[in-house]
Formats: sequence, C-alpha cells, structure tokens
Amino acid sequence: MILTGPGIAAARASGEITIEPYDPARLSPNAYDWCLGDTLRICDTDLDAATPTPYSETTIPTSGLVLQPGVLYLGVTHERTGSETYAQFLNGNRTIGALGIWVHVSAPLGHQGHAIHWTLEIRAARPVRVHPRMTFGKLVFLHCLGTPASYQLHGLKYTATAGIDISRLYEELAGGTT
Amino acid sequence: MILTGPEITAAAQDGRLRITPFAPDQVNPNSYNVRLGPTVLTYTADVLDAHQPNPTREFTIGPDGYVLQPGELYLGHTIEEVGSDTFVPLLFGRSSVGRLGLFVEITAPIGDIGFHGQWTLMLTPIRPLRVYAGMRIGQIMFFASVGTIALYRGKYQAAGGPQPSRYWRDVTKLRAVAS
Repeated sequence: MILTGPGIAAARASGEITIEPYDPARLSPNAYDWCLGDTLRICDTDLDAATPTPYSETTIPTSGLVLQPGVLYLGVTHERTGSETYAQFLNGNRTIGALGIWVHVSAPLGHQGHAIHWTLEIRAARPVRVHPRMTFGKLVFLHCLGTPASYQLHGLKYTATAGIDISRLYEELAGGTT
Repeated sequence: MILTGPEITAAAQDGRLRITPFAPDQVNPNSYNVRLGPTVLTYTADVLDAHQPNPTREFTIGPDGYVLQPGELYLGHTIEEVGSDTFVPLLFGRSSVGRLGLFVEITAPIGDIGFHGQWTLMLTPIRPLRVYAGMRIGQIMFFASVGTIALYRGKYQAAGGPQPSRYWRDVTKLRAVAS
C-alpha cells in the first residue's frame, strides 16, 4: 500500500518520515515532489565496475546547465529523506520524463532506514537544460510487511550519504580497489 | 505492502517464495540482491522484428569481465532462480549499478506470481562499462497481493539463462486463431 499525500504529512508529523527541508505545498495526491540539488558529477569516460568512477563536479548555475546524451550524470536530491517505518520509491515525474530525462537508472528503491540525500543517476535522450532546485520527481512511501531490519544496522555502504556518492561496487568485487 | 528483509528470509524458508541458491548475506532491508550469470546474448540482426524470432549470438563473460557498449542491447540473466506463488516480485537494478550508468531492465520490472526461473536482464549502459560474472547486479523485492491468485502459465516459465523476446509466439497463435 502506498501512502497518500495527507498520509505522508501525518507520518512526518508523527516522526515516522523525515523530509528536510519540507514544504507542504510539495505534497501531491500520493507522493512528495522533490527538487534537484545544486551539484552534478559528470562521468564521461569508460567505466569499470571493479574501479572507482572518474568524474568532474560542477555546480548548476542559476542560468541552468545543458545535459548531453551519452553522458552519465550523478546528481543529488535537495531534500534529505528517510523512514524506519516505510520503504521508499524515488522516480522522476511526467514533466521530466517528457523532456527525455531518465532519473535513477533502474534502481528506485530506498530501504527502510535510509536517511539520505539521494544520489540521482541521470541520463538525457537529447540535449536539455536543467535548473537548480527545479521540481524533478516524486517520492512515494510504501507500507512494509514483516519485521524491519534497518539499513542503518546492515553495515551497508551508503548509510549516511550527505551528497553525491559514486558507485562503491568495486568494494565488493574480488581484485577491485578497496 | 513490500516485504522486509527478515520476512523475505522467513518466506524463503517456509516456501512462500523460492530463491535458489539462497544466501543470507544477499538479503537487504527490503530486497534480495541477485547476481549476474555468465551467459549473455546479443541480437545479430540490424533491425529487430517483434513478429519474428530474432537470431542471437551467445557468449560467456570471462574472468576478466566483459565491456558492455552503449547502443547495444545485452540479454543477461540472474544466477538465482527466483519466484513466488504468493507474492509479486519486482526486479530493479541496485543503486551501485545505476551509479555506473547501467540499466538492468527495460520498462518491465514487474514479475508474475507463479513464475519461477532465472530472470532475464536487459542490459544497456550509458558509458562503456566492464562487468563481471557473479557481481551483485540487481535486486528483487516482493509485494503482498490482494485477490484470488491465478498462477503464471506464460512462455518464459522455468527459464534457464537469458531469454530473447518470444512475442512472435503470441503472434503465431493470433494468426492461427484468425485463420
């Protein structure tokens, strides 16, 4: 089951959900409409799952920045969100999709216990200008079935992400850099 | 409702879902990590035809990995056989894999209740990316369902290894019905 907008507001008021900064105007019928953060990392080299990804980092100017097809961008949500009670799904919204922008590259799940600024994997179908703090997507909250096992207790990789994280898959691969 | 990690483990033990092989260290708070199998298919024709079987080339990912190229579609598979007669499975990439610019499914994350087998992965990278057999590439989550259950009886049942599109088989049936 998916929380409604008023359900999200109530769960935040009772402390079950963290959304910071929080703007009630960003609640939609069954999601919270999150914003793109100021920073992008640009990955335009050949990549290896066993090696840390090289990147350059840039701040999105107020005049915006043009995303190019064929390049991997790592962005970040302006908001820090989390819940020990609910799982989360992060997606782009229809407006962003209709501009040919993929957000999240097939990994939308936020585990129970996540409390993060989400790293966003962004890809453009054609050149498109994006702007800092623009509304970029939807975050939904899901009821869970079973005993919870918080991400915070799992010893997992991205427990306290404050900004953009490159992939740390290389830590898992034999022969990879640790 | 989405299952928690402890509930996935309990359901794997009592048979409400099946993950083979099952390893406790692949359980996440709300999903199970699946690994990339060694066999990969690419289509060999320049233009795919949804109404025809499309020829494929099969290769094996060696110990040094394999570089996936942008613009190509690779059909991979999970090592694990995963399915449930109770819950709805959803397959997604892992964030660590998304951050490498790799899509592991295309527009079809939702599985069917009653499908059991290795899951085909539809691999498309944004940048050239070296991948390795056995890497934890995706995650499967399970949702509780509402209503009477009618188990999957489709054309990909008990899949072993990557499966190319079999839409053509449905077309053949439609033509048989129409004639």
